[in-house]
Amino acid sequence: MRSRWRLPLLALVVLVAAPARAEQGVTDTEILLGGSNSFSGPLAFSGEQATKFGVDLYFKAVNDRGGIHGRKVRTTYYDDGYKPQEAVANTRKLVEQDGVFAIIAPQGTPPVVATLEYLESNTVPLLFPFQGSPITRGRKWVFSGMTLYDRQSRMMIDYLVGRRKVRTFAALYQDDEYGKAFLTAFEKDLRRHGLTLVAAESVKRGTTDVSAQMAKLHAAKPEVLFLVLTPGPGAQALRERQKIDWTEVIMVSSGPLTDERYLSLAGSAAEGVEGLSLWPDPLTSDRPGVKQYREHMQTYFPGNQPNRYSLSGYFAAMLFTEGATRAGKRLTREGLVAALEGIRRFESGILPPVTIGPDHETQRQGFWVRVERGRFEPLTDWLSAE
Amino acid sequence: MRSLTLAMGAAGLLLWPWAAPRYFVFLASLIVVNAIVAIGLNLLSGYTNQLSFGHAGFLAVGAYTAAIVATRAPGAPVVVALLAAALVTALVGLLLGVPCLRLEGLYLAMATLAFGFVVVEAILNLDGLTRGNDGLRVPAARLGPWALATDGARYYLVLVVGAAMVWAALNLVRTRTGRALLAIRESEVAAQASGIHVARYKTLAFVISALYTGVAGGLFAFVVGFLSPDAFDVFLSVDFIAMIILGGLGSVPGSMAGAAVLTVLNDSLAGFQNYRPLVFGAILIASMLFMPGGIASAARRLRAPLAGPPRIAPGSRPPLQGERP
Amino acid sequence: MTTAALVHVVVSGLATGSIYALMALSLVIVYNATRTLNFAQGEMLMVSTFAGWTVYAHVKLPLVVVMLIAVAAAALLGWLIERVIIRHAIAATHFDLLIITLGLSLVLRAAAGLAWTHDEFPFPSFFGTRPIALGPVRLAPVSLGIVGASLTLMLGLWALFTRTRLGRAMRAVAQNQRAARLVGISVERVYAASWVLASVVGAIAGVLIAPVIFLSSQMGFVTINGFIAAVLGGFGSMPGAVVGGMLLGVIENLAPLYLPSSIKHSVPFLMLIAILLIRPAGVLGRVTRPKV
Repeated sequence: MRSRWRLPLLALVVLVAAPARAEQGVTDTEILLGGSNSFSGPLAFSGEQATKFGVDLYFKAVNDRGGIHGRKVRTTYYDDGYKPQEAVANTRKLVEQDGVFAIIAPQGTPPVVATLEYLESNTVPLLFPFQGSPITRGRKWVFSGMTLYDRQSRMMIDYLVGRRKVRTFAALYQDDEYGKAFLTAFEKDLRRHGLTLVAAESVKRGTTDVSAQMAKLHAAKPEVLFLVLTPGPGAQALRERQKIDWTEVIMVSSGPLTDERYLSLAGSAAEGVEGLSLWPDPLTSDRPGVKQYREHMQTYFPGNQPNRYSLSGYFAAMLFTEGATRAGKRLTREGLVAALEGIRRFESGILPPVTIGPDHETQRQGFWVRVERGRFEPLTDWLSAE
Repeated sequence: MRSLTLAMGAAGLLLWPWAAPRYFVFLASLIVVNAIVAIGLNLLSGYTNQLSFGHAGFLAVGAYTAAIVATRAPGAPVVVALLAAALVTALVGLLLGVPCLRLEGLYLAMATLAFGFVVVEAILNLDGLTRGNDGLRVPAARLGPWALATDGARYYLVLVVGAAMVWAALNLVRTRTGRALLAIRESEVAAQASGIHVARYKTLAFVISALYTGVAGGLFAFVVGFLSPDAFDVFLSVDFIAMIILGGLGSVPGSMAGAAVLTVLNDSLAGFQNYRPLVFGAILIASMLFMPGGIASAARRLRAPLAGPPRIAPGSRPPLQGERP
Repeated sequence: MTTAALVHVVVSGLATGSIYALMALSLVIVYNATRTLNFAQGEMLMVSTFAGWTVYAHVKLPLVVVMLIAVAAAALLGWLIERVIIRHAIAATHFDLLIITLGLSLVLRAAAGLAWTHDEFPFPSFFGTRPIALGPVRLAPVSLGIVGASLTLMLGLWALFTRTRLGRAMRAVAQNQRAARLVGISVERVYAASWVLASVVGAIAGVLIAPVIFLSSQMGFVTINGFIAAVLGGFGSMPGAVVGGMLLGVIENLAPLYLPSSIKHSVPFLMLIAILLIRPAGVLGRVTRPKV
C-alpha cells in the first residue's frame, strides 16, 4: 500500500470500527437505573417496598429470562429521607457519578419536584415517580407513575357529591406541595358543584401529632374528612377520631395513602374508613398480572407481604421493560421516550389498558374502597376523570 | 521542602477542575464550604468554649439570604449575595450571642439547639419568601455578565473566598483578639481579672463565628443549587461538631482536615445511609476516648517524634497551636 | 372550643407531660450523680422498648412481662454503657462526656435502624381504646393510664430517694462527691446505680408512650422535650422535673387550640428560650453563683 494513503485509511477504519456513541448507563450487557427514595423517615416503608420489593422484583424476573435485548437491568438507590435537598444531591450523584440511564420510581412530591429542573436540563428521563403533582404533567422527559392529584380529586369529589350526596367536606393535609396540590384541586372541584371546604388544617411534613388539628376539625362538623397525609399522621388521625369519639364523620384517604399499611398502624380505629384506591387489592385480586406479581413475590421474597407500594414499583418496572423493548437494541434516552409515547392499550394484567399520550400520564383511574375487617373492600368499579 | 509541597498543593487545588470528573469538583467545593463552617464553629467552641449545637441554623440563614438575594435581584453580582449572607448572619449571631452571655455549659448548648430549631421554623413560616417546606431553587451565581453555571466555575469562587477566610482565621489567632479568646478559654475569671472584657470578646466570637458560617452558607446555596429547611437540622450541627472534634479543638488546619475527612466519608457512605450515624458516632466516641486532641495533635506528635509524648494529665485539653506542652 | 374538648386536651396534655416528666427525671438522676448530661437517654429507652417488642413479636407474652423485659434490657444497657464507656472517660471533662454521649446516641440509633429498620410499628397498649364518657367529656383510657402509671413510678422514686440507703447515698454524691467518699460511700457504685435507674425509668416511659407515638428508631427524640421540661422546672431538681414536664405537656397541647396548629412543635423551644431569658434557674430552681 502506498504510504500516502496509510494514515487516512487507518483513520477511516478506526472511524467505522469505533462503536456508536454509547448512551450513558447503557452497556452491551447492562442497563443502569437508579433513584433517590425514602429508606428512612415518614415514607421509609413505602420506599423500601416500591424499590427493593417492587421495581427490583420485576427486574429479577426479567433478568432471569435474559434481560432486555440481552441486557440485564441493575438498579441503585440512595436515601433522601423525604427531604427535597437530599433528593437533589442524591440525584446529582446518580447522574454524574454513577451514570444512570434514567431515574426510576423516586418517591414523594417535594423531593421529586425539586429534582425536575436538574433532570430536565441534563436530559435524564424521570420515569414513573411515586407522586402525582400536576406540575409533572406534559414534560418531555417525565412520565407519571400515579394518577395525578387533580384527577384523583375530581374522581373523589364527583363520586361523593354525585353518588353519595355529601355536602360538607373538610381536609387534613400535609403542609407542602403534596397536600397543597390536593387542597387546590378539592377547592376547584367543589366549586363546580357550588360547594366549598368547611375547614382545612395542615400538618407539617415529618410530624405525627394531629390532636389539635382534629379538635378544630371536629368543631366544624364536616360529613367527610379528607386525609392527605403519610401513613404515620394518617393513622394518628384515625386514632384521634376514636379518642374523641367522633363517630359522625367519614374519613377518606388520598390515593397514595390508601393501603392497609396505615390501617395496621391505626389498629381498631381503622373500621369504616374509606378512600380512593389506585390499585387492585394486591393480596386478593385475581387479575392475571396481580397473580403473577404474587407468584414472583413468593419466588424471590417469600416473607414479604404484598401491598400497593411494591405493586406500583413492579408496574413501573413493567412499563420500563415494555418501553425499552420497543425502543430496540440501540437504546437511547430519546428512543425510550419515543417508545413510551407510542404505547397504546398496553395490557399489564394489573390496571386497565394503558395508553400514553402527549401528557405522558400512565394512569388515569382509581376506585372507591371501604375498610371491612381490616381490609379495603371495593365499593365501585374503576372511576375515571377525563 | 515545605514551600515545594505548598506550591504543589496550591497547583493541585487550582488544576483540580481540569483533572477531576465533574462530581468530584462538586465534592471539593463542598469540602471547602464545610471547612469554612468548621473554622467558624471552632472559633466559638474551640476557643471560647461555647459549644454550639445550632450552627446549622447559621448556615441556613446564610444560604437562604444569598438565595433570596439571587432570586429577587437577578442581576446582582455574587459578591453582593455573599456580603448580604455574611452581614445578616453576623447580625443574627449578635442577637443570639448577647443573651447567651448569661448562660454557660449545658444551658448554652441547649439555647443554641433551640436557636437552630427556631431558624428552621422561621424559614418554614416565611414561606412567601422561602417557599417553605417545598424548598427553594437557587439561581446560578452571577459575576458581571457571566453566570457561574458549571461546577468548575463555582469551585473557583469557593476556593477564592475560602482561601481568604482561612488566611483571616490563621491571622486572627496572632492578633490581640485571638489571644484574648485563648485567655478566656483558659479561665474566664482570670481573663476578666487581667483586664479582658470577657463579655465583649465572647459576643465577638459569636459574631465572627456566625459571619464565617453565613458566608459558607451563601457559597453552599450556589454550590448545591437547591435548599429545603429540613436539611438544616440538629444532625447537620452535630456533623460540624464532629468535624472540629476530629480535627482538634482550637486548630484551624485541624478543622479543615476534619471537614475534608468527614465530607468525603459522608459521600462514600451515600449508598449505606444506615451506617452513616454509626460511623460518625463511633468517630466521636473514639476521638474523645483515644485522641482528644484530634488530627491536629496527632499531626503534631508525628512531626516531633523525638520529643516524646506531651506530659499532660489524661483528659485535660491538649496544647494549642504554638503553645509548648 | 367547647369545655368537653378542652378537658380532653388538658388530660392528653397531662399524659404527655407525665412522659416528659419521667424523661426529665432520668436525665436529672444521671446528671445529679455524675454531672453528665446523657444525650443518649432517648436512644437507650428506644432500644429497650424495641427489645421488649421483639420478644412480644415472637412470643405473645402478657404486656406486663414485655415491660419487665424492656426494663431488664434497659438496666443491662445502662450498666454496660456506664461500665464500658463512661468509666473509662472518668477523668475527662464534662464537655468530653457530653460528646461521648452524643456519639453514643448516633450509634444506638443507627444500630436500631440496622436491627429493626427505620420503619414505625404499632405497639400494644395496656389500656383500652374505647373512650370513657363523663357527660359530654371524652377521656381516653390511655391518657389516664399514663398519668396514673407515671405518678406511681414517681412515688416509688421518691420513696427510693428518701427511705432507702442507696437513695440517700445518691443524694449525698449529688451534693458533694468528695464528702460522700469520705464518709465511705462508693461513688463508683452510685454512678452505676444512677445510670441503671435512669435507664429503667426511661424504659418504663418508653413502654407507656410507644402505643401513642408508634415504636420507631426516631422515638428517642422525646428526650429533648424531657430536657426542656427539666430546665423549665429547674435543672437538677426532681420535683422541678415533674412540674416542668406537666407544664410543658399541657401548654404544648393547649397552644395549638387557640393559635395556628403548627405552633405545637415550636412550643417546647419557645418555652425554653423564654425561661432561659427570664429565669434560667427554672420555676423551682435555686439561683446559684459560680464559685471562683
